[in-house]
Amino acid sequence: MEVSPRASGARTMSTNHLGVGAALLSLILTSTCCSCLETSRNGSPPNIVIMLMDDMGWGDLGVFGQPAKETPNLDRMAAEGMLFPNFYAANPLCSPSRAALLTGRLPVRNGFYTTNAHARNAYTPQEIVGGISQDEILLPEMLRKVGYVSKIVGKWHLGHRSQYLPLEHGFDEWFGSPNCHFGPYNDSDRPNIPVYKDSQMVGRYYEEFEINVKTGESNLTQIYLEESLLFLRAHAKAQQPFFLYWAVDATHAPVYASKSFLGRSQRGRYGDAVMELDHSVGVILDELRTLGLAEDTLVFFTSDNGAALVSAPTQGGSNGPFLCGKETTFEGGMREPAIAWWPGRIPAGTVSQQLGNIMDLFTTSLALAGLPVPEDRIIDGLDLSPVLLNSSLIDRPIFYYRGNELMAVRLGLYKAHYWTWSNSWEEFHKGVNFCPGEEVDGVTTHDQKEHTMQPLIFHLGRDPGEKFPISVLSEEYRTALQNISPVVERHKKNLVVAVPQLNMCDLAVMNWTPAGCEKLGKCLKGPKSQPWKCDWPH
Amino acid sequence: MDYSGVVFIFTLLFLGLDALPNFVLLFADDLGYGDLGSYGHPSSQTPNLDKLAANGLRFTDFYCTSPACSPSRAALLTGRYQTRSGVYPGVFYPGSRGGLPLNETTLAEVLKPLGYATAIIGKWHLGLGANGTYLPIHQGFDHFLGVPYSHDQGPCSSLTCFPPDTKCYGTCDVGVVTVPLMSNDTIAKQPVSFPDLERAYVDYATNFIMKSAKSKEPFFLYYPSHHTHYPQFGGTEATGHTQRGRFGDSLYELDRTVGKIIQALEDSGVHNNTLVFFTADNGPELMRMSRGGNAGLLKCGKATTYEGGMREPAIAYWPGRIQPGVTSELATILDILPTFTNLAGAKLPSVQLDGFDMKPILFDNGPSARKAVFYYPVDPSEKYGLFAVRVGKYKAHYYTQGSIKSSTTPDQDCGAHAFFKQHDPPLLFNLEIDSSENYNLSMADDPEYKDVLEMIQSVKKEFEMGMVFGESQMNKGRDPALEPCCTPDCSPKPSCCTFGEAEPI
Repeated sequence: MEVSPRASGARTMSTNHLGVGAALLSLILTSTCCSCLETSRNGSPPNIVIMLMDDMGWGDLGVFGQPAKETPNLDRMAAEGMLFPNFYAANPLCSPSRAALLTGRLPVRNGFYTTNAHARNAYTPQEIVGGISQDEILLPEMLRKVGYVSKIVGKWHLGHRSQYLPLEHGFDEWFGSPNCHFGPYNDSDRPNIPVYKDSQMVGRYYEEFEINVKTGESNLTQIYLEESLLFLRAHAKAQQPFFLYWAVDATHAPVYASKSFLGRSQRGRYGDAVMELDHSVGVILDELRTLGLAEDTLVFFTSDNGAALVSAPTQGGSNGPFLCGKETTFEGGMREPAIAWWPGRIPAGTVSQQLGNIMDLFTTSLALAGLPVPEDRIIDGLDLSPVLLNSSLIDRPIFYYRGNELMAVRLGLYKAHYWTWSNSWEEFHKGVNFCPGEEVDGVTTHDQKEHTMQPLIFHLGRDPGEKFPISVLSEEYRTALQNISPVVERHKKNLVVAVPQLNMCDLAVMNWTPAGCEKLGKCLKGPKSQPWKCDWPH
Repeated sequence: MDYSGVVFIFTLLFLGLDALPNFVLLFADDLGYGDLGSYGHPSSQTPNLDKLAANGLRFTDFYCTSPACSPSRAALLTGRYQTRSGVYPGVFYPGSRGGLPLNETTLAEVLKPLGYATAIIGKWHLGLGANGTYLPIHQGFDHFLGVPYSHDQGPCSSLTCFPPDTKCYGTCDVGVVTVPLMSNDTIAKQPVSFPDLERAYVDYATNFIMKSAKSKEPFFLYYPSHHTHYPQFGGTEATGHTQRGRFGDSLYELDRTVGKIIQALEDSGVHNNTLVFFTADNGPELMRMSRGGNAGLLKCGKATTYEGGMREPAIAYWPGRIQPGVTSELATILDILPTFTNLAGAKLPSVQLDGFDMKPILFDNGPSARKAVFYYPVDPSEKYGLFAVRVGKYKAHYYTQGSIKSSTTPDQDCGAHAFFKQHDPPLLFNLEIDSSENYNLSMADDPEYKDVLEMIQSVKKEFEMGMVFGESQMNKGRDPALEPCCTPDCSPKPSCCTFGEAEPI
């Protein structure tokens, strides 16, 4: 492990808050004394908090170079914990990435993909018929076996029909919604998205839960913060290990912030949302300290996919030096900000060069809880606990999928693109640009371009922005390809794809009558079932 | 944490001992906004600079004055735009007749009367001239060890850039003498030995600091590094050390030097009385592709007036005096001279200065006195004047032009094919929301932008009314006979000018 003072013990918290550099001082390179049994002081397994941002980019944090210095709490979290500059989403789009996080498996294995067309991103809008399969084992289902209580706060996105909801898949509590907060809708052609408390709806976005798309005002982040604090307090008291999945979505367009944060950021409304989330992170970490749980809790912060550059600059974030953004398998689409925090266990102010993936959170959490991974299926997630606690480095590839196609593979510092595609000419000409200001000839192609016979290879150490493919005639290229090819072969050979869950759409399955709508008088009348094959343009 | 006690004791020390503060000015070459770990580079290794940033004040909005070497260096040392001193267009060459005019007052000359020991180690690039007229020892520096210009301004294809024997990449400039290492006004070695160069510099800097500290002399050390300019080079300890290839190794060597200088300050016990300032001369040379620097999220690079060409990493470090943090206040390299001058209690040169004292930013977390940043191209002219102006968060581009130096980037606005273009109305960007200058703000979207443009126009007009262009030093031309040659009577020139035996220093 590379221990650099890039982030480290921020001793002084002056009004000037810390960027990457800012944070770091004490490079505590302790080879912590951990055995494999990761239990905390009182002998029970640690609590786990996963903070998952929505469409937040690698470059949005001060600690990753964002000039606006508006993330003091996250920068401090990095200074007190471990920063991962090489951490990846499992997919460049939200639903598949989230399904992968909770199952520890690539979307092609867990069913969160489509075969309607080649290499298309798919997700769960409310007309989607499918959702997370009963055959998949989710993290909270596993944790329950050893006494964890689990709560999801925020966006679920693994299917909105009743059989797919969080409480059907291991969570004990939920406050949030099944889909993105798009809208407002008129409730006759399209219902507004419901907000649930546990298994019952308590209202709908733009109705009981207001989001003013014009001003960007909404107090949802405050509600999500409060819901988390209630959960932490309750289970601190009960001395029961807990898993909190804090899946907030204020940085997803239409971005929102509460009144006291609106207009505060120099970056505009997107920055306001970031600042409110950063503030909330600070509050949650403080609460853990106050409750005396800080040293018994692993907190992991990351994001579901790259910043949505189509929404930039006022509704989208930044991917720093990386190419393109959300929806693409370039680094900007899948490289994520990531910070692990566990005072007393994870050395403060460290930077790990470990290649990490959101799916590792599944496996790592199981390891910390003392649980074996399910053995009847392939799990893609890696146990990062030796990385977190013993500063180890583990070799592993990163697979970049778009729908049903393996687009690229990273091994070490080399990344090979087998297929390249930003988006279609048709979409591009409509003004949809996933790579504004950075069209790399032959790389950010608008046709789906196959390179399987001769992949484009980049050295991400020298060229993190994927601008200069290594010459196919060079020795370096041959060596890199020789190393990557068998990894790809093995991966493809062992790949058992799941039944795709994201192929069919139907207006009849939209959120017309969510559970609990009768009590609120909020049931709506939907149309007759007329399923069609969903159209996935990207 | 309560610092009042610390500050009090320090003030006592400061006043009681009447010790003048020391200054260490670290100046990187062609280093981009996004190249340091502390500025968001994912694979650079810059632990010492990151530590400096962590324990010091890191600037997010710091600028040079020109997207090219010599002019920025002139501005840095004089506190005046290069247009006033005549250090334009472009840069000096080994045979250049001109140089930074001797009647300009450099920072070294400002500090000298107070008894400062002054030294420059590394890249001068402000002229050589006949008989070394323009060398640093004639501009207020007691000592000079370094290269009088860029280390690519002499043939390099047969030179070793990385040990044991990796030749420098490409040819560098041919048809001129090989690059000399000079000690004051004599040639110590020609050509320089790249793998040994940094070690020589570090030793020299360490000795200078130790000696000055021992004799209780205040000192000013100016360390304009060759790193990370093309051709990248490095010593044994840096070679092959980073994930980022040759550029990463070059940057890592610079970082190591910074670490060693800080170490020397600590070892000699003067670190609490020394302001260390780090920044760079211009944006990254993107045409070098993965051997070039990285502007992070900023647009284009070297030789352009987009942000990538002129916004730079900058760190101010002074343990006990400067609180760790990050500032987004506007500042430029012009502001270094007035700041250092005032901190030392020296007399400001009695000419038109363009800088502002940064003390409020450094010590009081206060606002910058600077409200605007002015962007001159590599070849400024009275005819076109400023290419761009930033006031507050808004930047207006009146003219844009790409450059071969920023070619090979996917952005079509950066490269050589982006010809000179006038913009009327000017392109307008909100740099706080859109640091990447991707989204032009048009008056059609919001009539308010008309007022913004008018405001910027008036700032520009006022500035340009006060700008008097000095006689161009570059236009004095070149004379091959002026190229430094360690064996002046040899033939045939330039290739006969080699002198390998002498040890550096």
